[in-house]
Amino acid sequence: MSTAAVAAEWQEIADRKYLRRPEIYSMQWGRMDLSRFRIACAPFGGPIAAIRDDSKIVQLLAESARRHLQIFSSSGELIASCPWDRPGGKLVGMAWTDDLQLACLLEDASVHLFNSRAEPVGPAISLGKEPSERVIMHYVFWGTGVACLTDTNQVYCIPDFKNPRPCQLADPGIDESDQVFCMTVNEPKAVKFGTPEVLLAVGDSVLLVGEYAAQTVGEGIGPIQKMAVSKEGKFVAMFTGDGRLLVALMDFSRILFEYDCESALPPDQMVWSSLDSVVLYWEELISVLVISPAGDPVRYIYDEPGILLIPECDGVRILSNSSMEFLHMVPESTVSIFGIFETMEPSAILYDAYDNFERRSAKADENLRSIRSSLPKAIKGCIDAAGHEFDVSRQRTLLRAASYGRAFCSQYDRDHFKEMCKTLRVLNAVRDIGIPLSIGQYQLLTAPVLIGRLINANQHFLALRVSEYLNLNKEVVIMHWACEKITVSPSIPDDVLLEALLEKLRLCKGISYAAVAAHADNSGRRKLAAMLVEHESQSSKQVPLLLSIDEEDTALVKATESGDTDLVYLVLFHIWQKKPALDFFGTINARPLARDLFIAYARCYKHEFLKDFFLSTGQLQDVAFLLLKESKLMEKNPMASKGSPLHGPRIRVIEQAQKLFAETKENMFESKASEEYAKLLRVQHELEISTKQAIFVDSSISDTIRTCIVLGNHRAALKVKNEFKVSEKRWYWLKAFALATVRDWDALEKFSKEKRPPGGYKPFVEACIDAGEKSEALKYIPKLTDPREKSEAYARIGMAKEAADAGSQVKDNELFGRFLGQNSGASAIFDSLRDRLSFQGAH
Amino acid sequence: MAQIPNLDNAPLNLNAIREKAQKDLLDMLLTIRGKKCLVIDPKLGGTLSLLIQFSRLKEGDVELRHLSAEPVQTDSSNVIYLIRPQLTVMKTIASHIQNGISKGIEKKYFIYFVPRRTVACEKILEEEKVHNLVSLGEYPLYMVPLDDDVISFELELSLKENLFDGDTSSIWHVAKAIHKLESSFGVIPNVRAKGKASTKVAELLNKLQTEDPVNVDDGAPEINTLILLDREVDLVTPMCFQLTYEGLLDELLQINNGAVEVDASVMGAQQDAKKMKVPLNSSDKLYREIRDLNFEVVVQVLRQKTTSIKEEYAGVKTTTEISELKDFVKKLNSLPEISRHVNLAQHLQSFTSKSSFHARLDIEQTILELQDFDSCFEYIEEMIHKQESIVSVLRLLVLFSLTNAGLPKKHFDYLRREILHSYGFEHMQLLYNLEKAGLFKRQETRTNWLSLTKGLQLINEETDTANPNDISYIFSGYAPLSIRLVQHAIRSGWRSIEELLKLLPGPHLDLKRGTPNHVDSFAGAHFDRVPDGRRSLVFVVFVGGVTFAEIAALRFLSSQEGMGYDFIVGTTRVVNGNSILEAIVSSSG
Repeated sequence: MSTAAVAAEWQEIADRKYLRRPEIYSMQWGRMDLSRFRIACAPFGGPIAAIRDDSKIVQLLAESARRHLQIFSSSGELIASCPWDRPGGKLVGMAWTDDLQLACLLEDASVHLFNSRAEPVGPAISLGKEPSERVIMHYVFWGTGVACLTDTNQVYCIPDFKNPRPCQLADPGIDESDQVFCMTVNEPKAVKFGTPEVLLAVGDSVLLVGEYAAQTVGEGIGPIQKMAVSKEGKFVAMFTGDGRLLVALMDFSRILFEYDCESALPPDQMVWSSLDSVVLYWEELISVLVISPAGDPVRYIYDEPGILLIPECDGVRILSNSSMEFLHMVPESTVSIFGIFETMEPSAILYDAYDNFERRSAKADENLRSIRSSLPKAIKGCIDAAGHEFDVSRQRTLLRAASYGRAFCSQYDRDHFKEMCKTLRVLNAVRDIGIPLSIGQYQLLTAPVLIGRLINANQHFLALRVSEYLNLNKEVVIMHWACEKITVSPSIPDDVLLEALLEKLRLCKGISYAAVAAHADNSGRRKLAAMLVEHESQSSKQVPLLLSIDEEDTALVKATESGDTDLVYLVLFHIWQKKPALDFFGTINARPLARDLFIAYARCYKHEFLKDFFLSTGQLQDVAFLLLKESKLMEKNPMASKGSPLHGPRIRVIEQAQKLFAETKENMFESKASEEYAKLLRVQHELEISTKQAIFVDSSISDTIRTCIVLGNHRAALKVKNEFKVSEKRWYWLKAFALATVRDWDALEKFSKEKRPPGGYKPFVEACIDAGEKSEALKYIPKLTDPREKSEAYARIGMAKEAADAGSQVKDNELFGRFLGQNSGASAIFDSLRDRLSFQGAH
Repeated sequence: MAQIPNLDNAPLNLNAIREKAQKDLLDMLLTIRGKKCLVIDPKLGGTLSLLIQFSRLKEGDVELRHLSAEPVQTDSSNVIYLIRPQLTVMKTIASHIQNGISKGIEKKYFIYFVPRRTVACEKILEEEKVHNLVSLGEYPLYMVPLDDDVISFELELSLKENLFDGDTSSIWHVAKAIHKLESSFGVIPNVRAKGKASTKVAELLNKLQTEDPVNVDDGAPEINTLILLDREVDLVTPMCFQLTYEGLLDELLQINNGAVEVDASVMGAQQDAKKMKVPLNSSDKLYREIRDLNFEVVVQVLRQKTTSIKEEYAGVKTTTEISELKDFVKKLNSLPEISRHVNLAQHLQSFTSKSSFHARLDIEQTILELQDFDSCFEYIEEMIHKQESIVSVLRLLVLFSLTNAGLPKKHFDYLRREILHSYGFEHMQLLYNLEKAGLFKRQETRTNWLSLTKGLQLINEETDTANPNDISYIFSGYAPLSIRLVQHAIRSGWRSIEELLKLLPGPHLDLKRGTPNHVDSFAGAHFDRVPDGRRSLVFVVFVGGVTFAEIAALRFLSSQEGMGYDFIVGTTRVVNGNSILEAIVSSSG
């Protein structure tokens, strides 16, 4: 196609500014009369929903009298259809949400959501009791919610369908007699605080209604028949009763633009096309008017009524019975190449050079030479222009021109070209299945969202290829596919389906098998779920799922293998709650980790239950130890502590423990010890009574003996000694120290002379030195037999000479001096160090 | 000097880890609006003191409290508990909240678990019917740098839980922490583990790598080798009294979170009554120099330093040269450090100069050399009769039992009875636990301690503590078993000491990980140096705790000539014989 022919399709609105409306699809739906339907078209090339309009009397054309909700792709391909049988009265209006759900507002102020396959999503959401009893006068949808005005002139809204909390906006304070002409909304995402602001045209002014307050903003602006807010809430376009189009800043501080449409009749549709123009449509005239502040208005007349304007971020799609067009400003790069007055532009020359090259004309070379210096710019121009084309062959020609230029321009960045090719391949692929995304829309929508949309449209294969192609994570696609596969395959046997699923799931490393398994379980296929969850590598996902499908034993094995004790506890508590105690004991007793963790928990929190566990598993010694612990707690209990008869129960518990120890063969030592323990408590109890001092219970045997001696009760001490067969050796230590404590040196000396002490005189020496009684110590030191001990003892009481004399007898001198020798005198050194440093006054 | 160590010289970017932890903590506080009262588990508070100045926490309307049984009294409307997920702590918090309800006090309660929430804790909140009244969160602090070459996972109870309770939570935690390090510093290609817990950590590391893969392509890993050792493999070493300066400080004064607390009078201050915190980490240059020396050498070093200053002082008095004065003043700057350590060393000296101290060291040595059973036995018997502290009795007793593979039944039963008679029957459970864990038990097999000491040359008679050429200087003659194992592991792997390893508890394991080409270049024994000639980094992790003496030994090894590697130590906590046994005693009550 010659360059001139391309530009012939454009309409100039200003200097170097053109409009074009290429047909992207001729509609596949056969004969269609849009004017008979209520229609909702989703932006970003989304689907089209249609329900026969029952507010009009229409002729039935070879169709069922029952109304259907039909969903088409943007190319008019029927995607899904379902009978329209929602209770709630007449359909007031419908629109697509940002995540492609169709929201239908009914007469009773309820909103019903459908997915793009015409399946209902969730229960209906009500706008509230009050609006449900009133008549809805106006309504407005936005990407996530809806607002409506009732005949009482109150505004109700649901800001977010995903988190449906209906609320009432501030009272606009409109008299019942006043008529609200029209209503529009400033979307929550364009507002500071996340709640929508609604604009109402009343009388000759405009009200801005927020959550907490309503205010008049367009005082005296004239009666407004139609309003539209631009994206991001920057501007508002208004059509006045006297046929003027006004564009104002959102805060109405300034009217930016005014145009007289010379039509008293308000337009039926008015939308923003990107930020640069407003598009109006009059059904009666079947005419579309594009008004741009930068230039002249352009009017298009259509043959059949029922035209729909679909605003996009970079233009407006125009849907008619037979075609889908994309009305937009011709992009700069395209103008540069194909514009009639642009023949001197580098990209136009490059394009021309390529054309000549193809035709083997020498002019190609000449062209190229003329733009040598601006070649990069020319190449970029061609690549960008290719991006904006819907026509594949034109994309190709432009890219080839760019590629031709690149051959002469080594420094041109390859990536731009590569990226564009990638993007175009994706765009062409989705355009083929009825998603007419422009490059601008695609960039705004982002690839992951596009993939999400493909998945929801059940285009898994394409979605997967796109993800692979763009190096995006395939997990979402495969996961969704697997879940869908399970949903639609109720009759395929588990093992066959499992194989089919695994084959695909394996494509994606680290995919959550547990999530797929959970879906299988929800779809009533527990066995398949069990088979799937086996493949999950993340224990933290696997174990909870195993529990939810009643596979406790496997869950316990997997949790144990994971090494994560928290997971083991999770399983443990689950089984504990579910099973009778004995079964529970049996299960965990077979699993050491689970058992030990249970014991650790129960030790802290479930004492009695733990006793039951030990009894059931025959760990009698552990029960006995628990009893001993109990007996100690009884002591701590103030009720039991002092009043002597209360020691009875405590002793009984210890005796019980003793019996249990005796029943096991391995715990003879503990059994004997418990026996002595009980006996000791009795003895101490008696001592407390006889001495009237509560100081014996819970001290050790040795302490009891020492206490007796300190109290001067030598008979009692001796009795305790004999009763518990305390060795002579220990007896000498205890008695010597006790006598030193009360400084009864005579008694000590007498004791030393009773007989030759079985362990030597060391206890006497140490007791005296510890008590700081050198002279007493000297009585016993000479009696020490070990020269080394003797030497040490002398040293300790500061008798260096005697120490040295005794030390000289030590044979093992080397051993003795190993540490001491090298450090002797060090203490003196430190003192001098301190002195030397003190001049500095440091700490 | 600050308690928070300077990490600029760390072989890994530990600063980044600490900064992330600081930020997470401050962010956590920021998410809660209004006045808040932060209630910290005291033990955790110690950990946090290594991380952040508490004054920074107090910014922005935060009061700080320590968790105790007493309910929190505060005006703040938000009460935030920052705690470890321990069952007993949950009971305390539940009682606080119930107390608040009964008094009609309305507060918002938050519980932040460190490092993560657990089902068992939530269960207790549920049983106490307070789970609907609290918001739960996590503060994922898995490790704290103790110094520029030591990372602590702060799992105080790890050894006790593994050995006595069969609770392996800490193993998972350690694996998770190492995995986190790997996500910053690359997958560690060589892993050697010895002991039940350590091999499990190695297995879990591989499992975590498949569940949540670290990208192996991002350049060469910064850590070349991971050596994992169970404390259980070598319980002998921590039972020995540490003789390095730092070890001795820990044994006698207890180093907690990089600081010791002493009476102010010890540090030469006037007010005697007050306690004083002295930070100890490598930011103190002198400390860095002397911490790992045998204490007797430290004394000499300090003497030499003081003398030189004194001499210069004498010289300066006569000089008129400004530059000389300047130099001298510069040297004076090191005076606070010198006097700090002179004070501490003198304080230590008051313990080490006692003859009982030497007697004890002698017995320790005799036990290690497996000589003169009777006199060792009698020494311990006498300690019991004198009713010395049960921990110090047990420390020798455990050492005695370990080297002898238990005591003959007669001796075993006799000592147990003497202990119960002297310290009370409530220690029955303790003795039973020690027996079950094999720390103090009846002899059933012949001891293989001699084969180990010979095979690994653990006893070195000729040790020059001043100019050491072997790690045996650390204990004046005994080379710590654990560190000998590390030496073998880096030199030639486990293969060369396979037979000896079998004499120690638990399995061992040798793993190569990462991409195949990495494995190739590190195959065999020569992985001392990474290909580009830098020193390679060995991460030695002790599951169940490490002593300062062992850390000193590792530092000594890497400073030896011809050693192409640096060490970084990871541990569940820094321990010594007393702290290990105290934990066991208090939990067996």
